[in-house]
Amino acid sequence: MIIGANPAENHPISFKWLLQAQENGGKIISVDPRFTRTSSKADMYGALRSGTDIAFIGGLFNYVIENNLYHKEYVAKYTNASFLVHPDFDFEDGLFTGYDEAKRSYDRATWVFQRDAEGKILKDETLTNERTVFQLMKKHYSRYDVDSVIAVTGTDKESYLKIAQTFGATGHPDKTGTIMYAMGTTQHTVGSQNVRSYAMLQLLLGNVGRPGGGINALRGESNVQGSTDFALLSHILPGYLGVPTASAKHATLKDYIENETPKSGYWVNKPKFIVSLLKAFYGPNATPENEFGYHYLSKGNKNYSHISMFEAMYNNEIKGLFAFGQNPVVGGPNAGKEQAALANLDWLVAVDLWETETAAFWTKEAGMNPADIKTEVFLLPAAASFEKEGTVSNSGRWMQYRWKAIDSKGEAKADLEIIHSLATRIKKLYAGDTSAKALPINALYWNFGHGDHPDIDLVAREINGYDTVTGKLVANFTKLMDDGSTASGNWIYSGFYPEDGKNLSKRRDNKDTGMGNYLNWSFSWPVNRRILYNRASANYNGQPWAKGKEVIWWDDLKQEWAGYDVPDFLKTKAPSAAGGMDPFIMLADGVGSLFGALNEGPFPEHYEPYESPIPNAFSSQEFNPTIKVWTGKRNDKGGIDKYPIVATTYRVTEHWQSGAQSRNQEWLSELVSDMFVEMSEELAKEKGIKNKDKIIVTSARGSIEAYAMVTKRFKPYTIRDKQIHQVGMPWHFGFKGFVTGAIANHLTPHIGDANTMIPEFKAFLCDVRRAD
Amino acid sequence: MNLNRRQFLKLSGATAATLAVVELGFNDLQAKAATKKLKIAESKVTPTICPYCAVGCGILVHTKDNDVIYTEGDPDHPINQGALCSKGTSLRNMFTSEKRLQKPLYRAPGSDKWEEKDWNWMLDKITSNLKKTRDASFIEKENGFTVNKTDAIGCLGGAALDNEETYLLVKFMRGLGLNYIEHQARI
Amino acid sequence: MEYIKYIDVTKCDGCRACMVACKNWNDLPAEFEEFHGSYQSHKKTTANTWNVLTFTEHVTADNQFEWLYRHSSCLHCTDAACEKVCPENAISYTEYGSVVINADQCVGCGYCVQNCTFDIIELATKKDENGKEYKVAQKCTLCTDRIAEGLQPACATVCHTDAIMFGEKDKMLKLASERLNQVKERYPNANIYNPPGVGGTHTVYLLAERPSVYDLPENPETSYTAKLWKDVAQPAGKLLLGASVMGVVGAYLSNRLFNKEVDESSLNEGGKDDEQK
Repeated sequence: MIIGANPAENHPISFKWLLQAQENGGKIISVDPRFTRTSSKADMYGALRSGTDIAFIGGLFNYVIENNLYHKEYVAKYTNASFLVHPDFDFEDGLFTGYDEAKRSYDRATWVFQRDAEGKILKDETLTNERTVFQLMKKHYSRYDVDSVIAVTGTDKESYLKIAQTFGATGHPDKTGTIMYAMGTTQHTVGSQNVRSYAMLQLLLGNVGRPGGGINALRGESNVQGSTDFALLSHILPGYLGVPTASAKHATLKDYIENETPKSGYWVNKPKFIVSLLKAFYGPNATPENEFGYHYLSKGNKNYSHISMFEAMYNNEIKGLFAFGQNPVVGGPNAGKEQAALANLDWLVAVDLWETETAAFWTKEAGMNPADIKTEVFLLPAAASFEKEGTVSNSGRWMQYRWKAIDSKGEAKADLEIIHSLATRIKKLYAGDTSAKALPINALYWNFGHGDHPDIDLVAREINGYDTVTGKLVANFTKLMDDGSTASGNWIYSGFYPEDGKNLSKRRDNKDTGMGNYLNWSFSWPVNRRILYNRASANYNGQPWAKGKEVIWWDDLKQEWAGYDVPDFLKTKAPSAAGGMDPFIMLADGVGSLFGALNEGPFPEHYEPYESPIPNAFSSQEFNPTIKVWTGKRNDKGGIDKYPIVATTYRVTEHWQSGAQSRNQEWLSELVSDMFVEMSEELAKEKGIKNKDKIIVTSARGSIEAYAMVTKRFKPYTIRDKQIHQVGMPWHFGFKGFVTGAIANHLTPHIGDANTMIPEFKAFLCDVRRAD
Repeated sequence: MNLNRRQFLKLSGATAATLAVVELGFNDLQAKAATKKLKIAESKVTPTICPYCAVGCGILVHTKDNDVIYTEGDPDHPINQGALCSKGTSLRNMFTSEKRLQKPLYRAPGSDKWEEKDWNWMLDKITSNLKKTRDASFIEKENGFTVNKTDAIGCLGGAALDNEETYLLVKFMRGLGLNYIEHQARI
Repeated sequence: MEYIKYIDVTKCDGCRACMVACKNWNDLPAEFEEFHGSYQSHKKTTANTWNVLTFTEHVTADNQFEWLYRHSSCLHCTDAACEKVCPENAISYTEYGSVVINADQCVGCGYCVQNCTFDIIELATKKDENGKEYKVAQKCTLCTDRIAEGLQPACATVCHTDAIMFGEKDKMLKLASERLNQVKERYPNANIYNPPGVGGTHTVYLLAERPSVYDLPENPETSYTAKLWKDVAQPAGKLLLGASVMGVVGAYLSNRLFNKEVDESSLNEGGKDDEQK
């Protein structure tokens, strides 16, 4: 089931394998607000109004439970379905117990399990006790009957039932089904809960950790997996270690470790990972006496995510900005505001292959008066991916090496060299300075070669990790220690370079080692494992759930796990051993979380998008009760009086992200050379718009001009007898390149998900009219 | 139907070079082509991974006379098996496009144009700005906690950088005391 | 050996890699056209855009919506009107079944453009060493240069869905007819497009709908005048050249064919080299 993604257009080679599965009898389900190239190849298509995923999936929970389609053994033992929840936990009119309206957040005191005197969780594996997670979930989603669901999503009943039946059938142990999602899922004020709802559905159907199962995030940039793993994000450090904050719980390294390390599950090893990271960062300057340099790390006291950054910049709090290949003037939410914010900077450093709209934000063609803009702008030419060496990690966590094919074009330099040159220069500027501000920089261990040319091999070794005494590479993260004797820049990657001369990301043995895992091709973190939580591919006895669905199994003779993948389990832990049936080793309870708290609550609940054309049918909470609502200038909210039409943004095969790459290349530019807005024939008729007309789209943030593309692929939704129109547009266009066009993000709001602050690009309100 | 896309008649030209990629390693990938007719006959072939989406397809880059003369799907790559989408297929354009930046450009405050500058000048000026802004905004302690931070500088981007680059970038920026470190994964 | 490019439109997902691969292999420039009101980039093939992916929104008889794609490029007719009308003999058939234009012989008269049964060929404007403009007819070559070296056409190599396949004529036609049965359930009007009126083609389609839905002629025929010119007038002219010239040509052709067969048979059987290894 593809929901919130469009792989035929945005991840075409993944679609190659879907089509092969289809030839082998598999069914492709496309759920999307609009009929895409993916939909055109699917066996069934379900239209859903943008922003109603939870209603759609909630209805599937209900259908699967009511029709007994869930994978009973899997649910009973591999999820927390049997756990008993706190007696006071409840839900009423869109809110779970503990909501504080003033803070727009919850007190989670009752979102916990009942425990006995020894602290063990109380369970009922028959799943009949009304306080079990299963019964609470069943009750919660009993409100999501098919008719109630389609009255929110706008899906036609026949399609919905067909999809429910087809995907529900994967709950049989002999079958598996996968869910593929992308930004159509995450770019909502309920984005995290959307993803969670998919994960829960897969747990219910026993599809996690199994071949052909799982939920697959189709990541959109060549190394967005790696850049996330390496924590180019405000809230984490490399390897998903939480960033320390200016708070009592993180006052010292000891406090951080005590408060951030769970009592069970694999994360009990966190102290080894954080200390090894500090040793990588600060080298010999990280000692037991100075808490391994813990205090050199910056500690923040607020949200520092993208929207927050640009709000702060707009309010004159940020003076300098580096932009490595990012183009917020086109790609940022409320892009007009973000462009205005850039003008408040003293300096901007843009590193790119092209003159992007962001680098050129101050120009006349950007709609600015250059004389008014005091920002100093540095545009550094970067090398292309094949003009340098390094690795990228794909959606499947394969860390693959890219060799250098040719010298950089002109004077372009690899980003590695640019970063290294800046770091060595700033260290020089602070050399000899003993003031407080100089200390963290002087302590930073920067040993990547001489002059302006860093040695990538030294970087790779530091990432993998080494013994700080001998300098010898560590075999993998199980060898990392919390006493300063090891360093590792990113524990989850540790193992890709286990010994001299053996950088496993360079491997190119393309023989299938079983089930398409290709274990000798490149390296997949962690420890070359291809399917996460693959213990769940085997039943209670450690045997595959079904023939043809083997990944790993317990070998009784050898007393160890064997199979086609690196076991995601202690290799010698038998199914009968304590914890031998707890496949989800990264979680404290060892089982999948049907009940698991995000900021909105332990069960995903439908709320309307921040800007919605219709009241919430499920409760009186109109939109996500825990999102941060931004106030101040240029944060207006659009209402249906002025903006009755739902709008969404997306990508096409032929362009990439903000278009900086693709619009600067001819062969891609000619394929899609104009900014367009897609709409139904019905809406076009209502508005007197003909195909190819120039139209104006307006939202509470701004307006843009584009061509109308009138198409049968868009249809109005009938929601509770009300006709709701929807338009859609690509966000690839800007004012630079071979082809130019209006910036779609001039329309989108600064409003984000309650957990991640990912902007709601996919559902906002607008109006359209003819340009003349 | 599993048609071998590498060849249908015989091994020659680009295909021989492709085999060399796998069987001989990558240090010297001179194509030993049997013919001069094909434009890729004497090209050097280097494997790379597509820089667009994160499916992670393999691409072969054919270079000759300091130019990229052709790019094609890597037939030995288990993910794409020689196929590519329109974006991956266009990789050659990333080198040949006349719009590629080739020199560092500087825009002075209030100016309406770019000026070409040399790298050293740029890097020195950037680091001097960086130090100035950092020194002016640096906070060592706040509410009794050691924070060693600057909230006046931000760092954006990195989803198209290599892992090694993202690591250096994060180490550098955290080392400077930045908290505003964000990239495309957030939006 | 005769080969065909077999295009199964029911497998195409519209990614347009074939369009870029063609430009990349053949070093063709981009051509920016006006907005066409759909995802289609070019109205039709041109002298510098040798294949175009067409996008058609179609509602079937039983009210099902289908978004149909077609890789449109030269069909490489067996009785090619372009070849027949060319006054300079610049257009010829190759041993592989492709129809190719010899740029050195082409004078840019445009007869082929006017007579092309499928409206594929166009004239490119180029400049000679002195900067003087001249015209030359251009179209898909079926990547004859690649075929000669044992490679498939660039568009077939790049296609990730196997919508474009390339191979021996018989094998491809067999695949097409087998596939036709499979797709009939979803596409009851599916058909194989290999029109006899032009003697069959070397780009053969499995279409999901009637040809006209894809803007293809239902029953195309090589035009009568084209046939008349080539099959009557030109042979008559050749007769006037004399038998000796024709003899040389005939010997050359048979020699080529014979050698090719030897090459292939040794390869197909593995060859001596393989046995020694």
